[in-house]
Amino acid sequence: MSISLYTAEQEERLFIRREASAWARSGLITDEQLAIIDARTDPGLNRTNVFFRILFFLFTSSCVQAVIGFYAYVIRIRGEVAIACSALAFGIVMAGLAEYLVRRKSLYRYGIEEALALSGMALTCAGIVILISQLHFEPRSFITTAAMLASAGAFWLYLRFGFLYAAVISVACACIVPFQLSLPPASERTIVAMVLALILLTSIRAEGSETRDFRRERSTLLQACLLAAIYLAVNLRLPELGRAHFGDPAPFDQFHAGYPPVFYWATYGLTFLVPALGLYLGLKSRKRLLTNAGLIAALLTLATNKDYLGFTHYAWDPAVLGVVMVVAAIVIMRWLANGSREARNGFTAKNLLKPEDHGINPADLGAALLPGAIQANLPPSPPEKPFAGGQSGGGGASSGY
Amino acid sequence: MERGRWWFFRVAPGMLFAALPGDSFFQGLYLPRIRANGEQQGMNVTSILKEMHRAGELGSTQLDALTDLHLKKRYSVHQELRAAIYIGVLLITAGVGLTIRQYFAQLGDIAIIGSLTAGALAAFLYCFVKGKPWSGGEVESPNILFDYVLLFGCTLYAADVGYIETQFRVLGDSWHDYLLVSSALFFFLAYRFDNRLVLSMALSTLAAWFGFQLSARFVSFHKYYRESAIAYSLVTFALGSLSHRLAVKKHFFDIYLNFTVHFLLMALLSGVFQYRFASWHLPAMAAAIAAVAVYSMRTRRFLYMLYAILYGYACLSAVVLGFVDGAAAMYIYGIVSSLTVIGLIFILSRRFKEGT
Repeated sequence: MSISLYTAEQEERLFIRREASAWARSGLITDEQLAIIDARTDPGLNRTNVFFRILFFLFTSSCVQAVIGFYAYVIRIRGEVAIACSALAFGIVMAGLAEYLVRRKSLYRYGIEEALALSGMALTCAGIVILISQLHFEPRSFITTAAMLASAGAFWLYLRFGFLYAAVISVACACIVPFQLSLPPASERTIVAMVLALILLTSIRAEGSETRDFRRERSTLLQACLLAAIYLAVNLRLPELGRAHFGDPAPFDQFHAGYPPVFYWATYGLTFLVPALGLYLGLKSRKRLLTNAGLIAALLTLATNKDYLGFTHYAWDPAVLGVVMVVAAIVIMRWLANGSREARNGFTAKNLLKPEDHGINPADLGAALLPGAIQANLPPSPPEKPFAGGQSGGGGASSGY
Repeated sequence: MERGRWWFFRVAPGMLFAALPGDSFFQGLYLPRIRANGEQQGMNVTSILKEMHRAGELGSTQLDALTDLHLKKRYSVHQELRAAIYIGVLLITAGVGLTIRQYFAQLGDIAIIGSLTAGALAAFLYCFVKGKPWSGGEVESPNILFDYVLLFGCTLYAADVGYIETQFRVLGDSWHDYLLVSSALFFFLAYRFDNRLVLSMALSTLAAWFGFQLSARFVSFHKYYRESAIAYSLVTFALGSLSHRLAVKKHFFDIYLNFTVHFLLMALLSGVFQYRFASWHLPAMAAAIAAVAVYSMRTRRFLYMLYAILYGYACLSAVVLGFVDGAAAMYIYGIVSSLTVIGLIFILSRRFKEGT
């Protein structure tokens, strides 16, 4: 018997449906075949599309907030204990309501039960934290308790409802704890990275005997998140990436970023090792999300390499990185295309599965912002020239009259 | 030895953490669950494909292809390569822009304009040489790189013309006409090579010609921008509808419609915020939201329903909260309106059960 509100069979059927939808979208099966698969994989759950799910989530959250606000206004609660008890009561009611909707109305990722469950968890944690605050702990202990409670609450939601983002919240909250233990910064990061690595290793080891596809899919997403979290913990120069000022020396205002030299250079090595590990594991077991997490981490390693080494940034650095990326993509594409059946070891550059098309995608939006971004980087008009101060551009969407 | 080495990794954290795919630890805990209709044990993708093949509902070639895909014996990295090229092009554009900004005095106008012009021309030439013949329908790119070479050419062109305009002011007070010319060129290239990215650039450049910019002034949406936004949205809608009716790149319609919906509804919403009942903005907003909602239901494109409901709710709140006095009334409004919207979406979701 599982702790989850949904059976493994139901989750597996939903996984089959998702796969079948992707095949139908890509023209690999007909609509009739999709209908046959759908008929045979009825999970007995009520689902909705992603946009309605977002709406349900937003308006349920809004309703919960309004109800709590109305209660607080009408009852005119005073005193921290009363507030804590109210939060606890509301938390339990919300969580119970979420469970009721799943068990009686068979809701699955409907938005409503998600908002209620998350609100319930947040309110319960808030209630307990306020009660604990009556014991007058020091602030660090207080934050530690809150983080551990939130981590445990989110973990429960993941187990009970299967919300993947709850597992991510759980990890994020757990990562706060070492930073509140009054340890040296290097020790804090070490503990975080080691705990996350342990969990990742456990996940990979435990997956070996797993036969259910939906569980493999879930664990892949979690492994990708864990890899990203480990990378964030080990890359000491990441916070400076956004602040890097081109043309100036790297921000070496603090030698070794304020960490011991051994630790600093160890993390430098890890910024290469972690992406390599992600890529190796992702490509070996053909886990797309893990591979992509490894690729993004590798890109960030290249972007922060100069900061680590204390080299000067140049204005053309992004262009060099861009050229490397484009050339690498072309080389890989050609290499794969020259293999037998346009593939090597099963890897191909051909488009086999089409992604969902909602009419507009982030790449389109990014392209729409390009003219404005180009304009923002143009040198200012020379003051001695007539008609100075113009704001337009060739494609300059940032222009105004 | 083997068991000793892995015992800790297998058991201790595994019991504690979410990343565990299995849930055997929780066996023995009784917690009620819902059941699937006619639940069968052990159903998975491979078994259902084999079952369909045995029943004659799936061909042998399809079975092999789908099994290979599911078991990842055939694994596409197409999307990853596309993403790498797209990000690469964006980084190159950023690098070119930063270099010009920082070194324009040392490089000189001729070097900058010459290299940008040569780069843009080379990219366009590549596209005209390698591009497939024009068709009114959807045309697949000749290769993964093609779309991004065109995008790169357009960004170089934009930087080139922008640089000339900021440094030399050739058109003087009529400088904004550059934007119209740029937009026209981007429209032409988008239609010629079936490129959605360049179409997005064309539409945002057209918006710039109408007077919009990425700044706080645009967000403030005062009267002047409101009228401009409405005019812009009507023009984009007309262009998109014309293209759709003439069956020329019908798949571009969603891009047009996204620009239209946001510019129109933002402009009308700002009018409702300012005037409430005392202007034509409220009925126009109601009509526009109704039109978007009907379009969403007819085409089963629920992204537009999301827009309609969010803008509609913002509009309703702007009107109602103006007359609401006191915290209690505000909370009651929050509860009643949220529940009403939830009920409305629930009815819609039942009607379009498990939509896309």
